[in-house]
Amino acid sequence: MHLFLLIGLVAFTILAVLARDLLKAAIALAGASIFLAIIFFRMGGYYVSVFEITIVAGLITVLFIATVNMTRHQEQDVVESKWPRIIFPLFFLLFLVVDFLVMKKLLGTIPALQSAETGTFGEILWGKRSFDLIGQIGVIFAGVLSVLALFRKRSKHD
Amino acid sequence: MTNAWFLDMGAVAVLLIVGFYCLFTQRNLIKLFIGVEILGKAATLAMMATGLEKKNVLVAQCLAITIIVVEVCVIAVALAMIINMYRHTGSLDIRKLTKLKG
Repeated sequence: MHLFLLIGLVAFTILAVLARDLLKAAIALAGASIFLAIIFFRMGGYYVSVFEITIVAGLITVLFIATVNMTRHQEQDVVESKWPRIIFPLFFLLFLVVDFLVMKKLLGTIPALQSAETGTFGEILWGKRSFDLIGQIGVIFAGVLSVLALFRKRSKHD
Repeated sequence: MTNAWFLDMGAVAVLLIVGFYCLFTQRNLIKLFIGVEILGKAATLAMMATGLEKKNVLVAQCLAITIIVVEVCVIAVALAMIINMYRHTGSLDIRKLTKLKG
């Protein structure tokens, strides 16, 4: 089952990259997110699975589709080059071989943790990782201010 | 390390290569950010798989949520920039963004 989910995830991401229509690419990316959320759920990451479905599969897909619609009538003018389609499979095979060899050597060097974690998700998120939350709040504010700055109306002096 | 972790890391490697392929070869601005999104998925999957393997799923979840939040902000700002660029150049082709080229 896990293998099929991973294959589905990879298949949808490849579809998202290879699809010529941007709308189909965005929807394929949402499909990949749903597969990833199911994988997280099976791993026991219930909260991150909910985040993946609501934010990545939901919000980001809506943002992509809105952008595609706002820029739609001239999207076909981007001509992609042909040569990467020939070189990519060779590069991909080479990457897999190197990746397999490197990972086999790295396996023994990953340090084991002293003890398994205790407590609930809330205790760890608000207690141990509270500095992350401050960073997240900062990033969200920075994002909102940036979007506002990019869409502000021009004054007469500009 | 278990077989499941190897499988997950294999999928992470494939996602990384697909994301980098998208970044290096595509010329459409929206496609480029689809590539960034795929790289984010690879990072999240690697985090969760290793967290599960090391019996630290809760910390892995916290970090994965942080990655997702940062990813959303990056994509939102990037798409706003893409719309602005489209209004200026009338195209989504990255080769036409050469006004600052010396």
